[in-house]
Amino acid sequence: MSKNPSENIRNFCIIAHIDHGKSTLADRLMEQTGQVSSREMEEQLLDSMDLERERGITIKLTPVRMFYTAKDGKEYTFNLIDTPGHVDFTYEVSRSLAACEGAILIVDASQGVEAQTLANVYLALENNLEIMPVINKIDLQSARPTEVAKEIEDIIGLEAMNCPKISAKEGLNICDVLESVVTSFPPPQGDEEGPLKALIFDSYYDNFKGVICFVRIVDGEVKIGTKIKTFMSPKEFDVTEVGVFSPKLTPKASLKAGEVGYIAASIKSIEDIAVGDTITEVGNATPKPLPGYKKVLPVVFSGVYPLDGSRFNDLKDALLKLKLNDASLTFEADNSVALGFGFRCGFLGLLHMEVIQERLEREFDLDIVTTAPSVSYLVHKTDGSVMNVDNPTHLPPVTEIDYIEEPMINASIFSPPEYVGAIMELCQQKRGVYKDLVYLDKLRVEMKYVLPLNEIIYDFFDSLKSRTRGYASFDYEIAEYQKSDLVKLDMLLNGEICDALSIIVHKEKAYERGRAIAEKLKEVIPRQMFEIPIQAVIGGKIIARETVKAYRKDVLAKCYGGDVTRKKKLLEKQKEGKKKMRSIGSVEIPSEAFITILKTDNK
Amino acid sequence: MAGIYIHVPFCKQKCTYCDFASYPKEIGKEEAYFACLYREMLGRKEELKEYTFNTVYFGGGTPSFVKPEHILGAMNQIKKCYNLTENAEITLEVNPGTLTEENLKIYKKAGINRFSIGLQSGWNEDLEKLNRIHTAKDFLLCTSMLKREGFENFSADILLGLENQTIEKVKKSIDLAVAGGVKHISMYALTPEVGTPIYTNYLNGELLSDDEVGEIYEEAYKYLESLGLYRYEVSNFASLGYESRHNLNYWRRGEYIGFGVSASSFIDERRFTNSFKIDEYMNLVILNKKPEISSDIIELEDAMFEFIMLGLRTKEGININKFEVLFKENFLTRYKDVLKKNEKVLDLNDGYLSIKDEYLYVQNHIIMDFMK
Repeated sequence: MSKNPSENIRNFCIIAHIDHGKSTLADRLMEQTGQVSSREMEEQLLDSMDLERERGITIKLTPVRMFYTAKDGKEYTFNLIDTPGHVDFTYEVSRSLAACEGAILIVDASQGVEAQTLANVYLALENNLEIMPVINKIDLQSARPTEVAKEIEDIIGLEAMNCPKISAKEGLNICDVLESVVTSFPPPQGDEEGPLKALIFDSYYDNFKGVICFVRIVDGEVKIGTKIKTFMSPKEFDVTEVGVFSPKLTPKASLKAGEVGYIAASIKSIEDIAVGDTITEVGNATPKPLPGYKKVLPVVFSGVYPLDGSRFNDLKDALLKLKLNDASLTFEADNSVALGFGFRCGFLGLLHMEVIQERLEREFDLDIVTTAPSVSYLVHKTDGSVMNVDNPTHLPPVTEIDYIEEPMINASIFSPPEYVGAIMELCQQKRGVYKDLVYLDKLRVEMKYVLPLNEIIYDFFDSLKSRTRGYASFDYEIAEYQKSDLVKLDMLLNGEICDALSIIVHKEKAYERGRAIAEKLKEVIPRQMFEIPIQAVIGGKIIARETVKAYRKDVLAKCYGGDVTRKKKLLEKQKEGKKKMRSIGSVEIPSEAFITILKTDNK
Repeated sequence: MAGIYIHVPFCKQKCTYCDFASYPKEIGKEEAYFACLYREMLGRKEELKEYTFNTVYFGGGTPSFVKPEHILGAMNQIKKCYNLTENAEITLEVNPGTLTEENLKIYKKAGINRFSIGLQSGWNEDLEKLNRIHTAKDFLLCTSMLKREGFENFSADILLGLENQTIEKVKKSIDLAVAGGVKHISMYALTPEVGTPIYTNYLNGELLSDDEVGEIYEEAYKYLESLGLYRYEVSNFASLGYESRHNLNYWRRGEYIGFGVSASSFIDERRFTNSFKIDEYMNLVILNKKPEISSDIIELEDAMFEFIMLGLRTKEGININKFEVLFKENFLTRYKDVLKKNEKVLDLNDGYLSIKDEYLYVQNHIIMDFMK
């Protein structure tokens, strides 16, 4: 199929702040290019995960191919790669950017430029992408397209006065966008005749075909039978299928330089393929791999355990499969006294953590228990050695610790000016250090703070939203480590330490947090046969105490001849609830307790 | 040994908490109903000819509300159809407001030797609210009548959890029962069932909470024991030798046959229940059909659990040897983990496993651990 010389190909993505209408525009583009008829159009086609649709967010990138006949009469092939918008998924964004030449930047006509807009623009610029702004939601009452265009020019420095002004929802001016894609974005460069060089930008596991690699062909050609290898693995594979996304996988004879598509090669082992790696041809290999991706490091860690201990291996399989198309997920086997065998997982952020948890439960039908998230601390021991601790349980005894360092972040908070006071108060509470405040225009300020990461992994984002009635947005980058006065806070249930509830916390906040967690545990732990003392302890000193009272009556009132079957059913029902509990010593704890205790200072 | 239960579904009026099969409006059907009962008894004669019965229990409804001749008739039919032991315990539930001396004479003739009196409370204000037809005074008249006729084995029911109830009030009710000379007290927590008038009170939060009931229960339990009525089952207290044999049979997972509308039976590892509708019940019997509407064969696992669930309600607990004979499994091995987990709350003595006194009233979670 060489009907599409690369002159007529446009590879691009759409970047936007969350909720500015990215997926809606993608749907509209597909509809107008006849990729899907509007009749069979399901809203937000690219967000195929249930989770994505429910939350209205894009988590995974999804590619799709479209054909468009431009005003110049030529037919163009568009490869659109949808990208996630949330700060946690910056990594996903950078992956799709590397496969594109252009990026459509959507800006909401009423909200204007947001923190994430900027972050993504910078990413796109780093990847040398051509950026085309599009102002969306012009149908809204509050739309101010001209002002927003000026904002784009002032803040981002992109020419925006003549950019497409559209309503993706209403289907207004979509053809302007399609035409601009042709004129604004360059065709891919690449040598069709050269040795095969293809970037793997995503992959997933298919039970029949093995690993499916999503690729951007940079040079050369790949077809069925091509013998391929990657740079990171010594294994060789014969290609069994190549094709494009329409958006379902559609086989093709070959993929050539400039094209975006997929390759299947009976790759049975998930470990043989790494996203960011370069595929080349055996015998005619390209000498140098593509730069690949910057390896991202997880910043939030949490224990993930199967509720039913016997499903450890299922959990392991599930994590392996998730890692295949989410390289940012890290995990290693872990063992907790309270929770048994499980994994210590590393995530890019809290939303990422939640998404992984939900995917484990939904896509793999696992009931899991997760522990309080932690960051990774640098513990300097008295013997001069330094260790990384991301699990409070592994913190050495106080006597062996010289000092501890914790990771900081540079936070940018964007907000209307009236909430500045509330935000400062919040940042103060979270041990933030004020750095700067800039008026972006009359309606927006940007505040800069240095904050400890461990203060924001709990509920910072929710608190920020509730204090600013949802107006503030927040972005951060990981900064350096800083020495800090940190202690380990343990929770004792019925006199025994529950390791899964231990956290590392700043000394000044330990008392408050210990008390809050004890109170929260009192709420979530159901009453049992015994009175259960709950104690918060630092280094042997009890700093807070609560008691779950024993229940006084938990008995079937009467049980005579006619009652047996019915009462048995009542007990079975009661038992169902009990199955959701984790027994820790003689105390039973509902699995959500481990996570709900975090939401303690959400006032 | 097995038990016989006979359901008498007639009442003068329905109590606010009652969700039993009882039909105040169906008075006039007694003749036909008892005719059906006799027929049902006859119908099961063959099936049960190998059985020997040592208890009979007339429950309701208000068995003392129907003509005593019906009770006599039912007893005659039982004796005609089944092997009833000489010294069988034969209990009649009575409402204190319905007993007369003439009736008692006929009951005596029928062989009734134990009475269960529905006192519920010693406080008239409670009785009125519950729509009971009797007063505290009626109860004392009833017990003196019983004693005059030479009966000494009788019991009183007391309800816990009533509106504004306090331990002092419950103690007074117990005092009244003891003054009447009862040898047995059944003390139940009120269970508001959906569809009963008292359920509205429950929804409005007018009844006591589980915690409050639990507290009153513990006090009342101690009080009863101090009066010589010892707890032989969660809700049942008796002077030594006056335990209800009929009910103990349930908790030891013994067999029993139930006759009449809504009556349940457990025969040969099968649990079955008769129709709850009086007309349907009678029609089926008249057509010579079994009036059963549900039937479950109890599989081994379930049987073992029932044995434990029922047995742990009693003071004596589970007879481990009997368990092993019945189910051909080593009890201590099979439940090793559960026993370990619950060692603080269980007692293992002389081949019996029981729940410690202080945990008997919070036993559900212990029992559930035995469930697969």
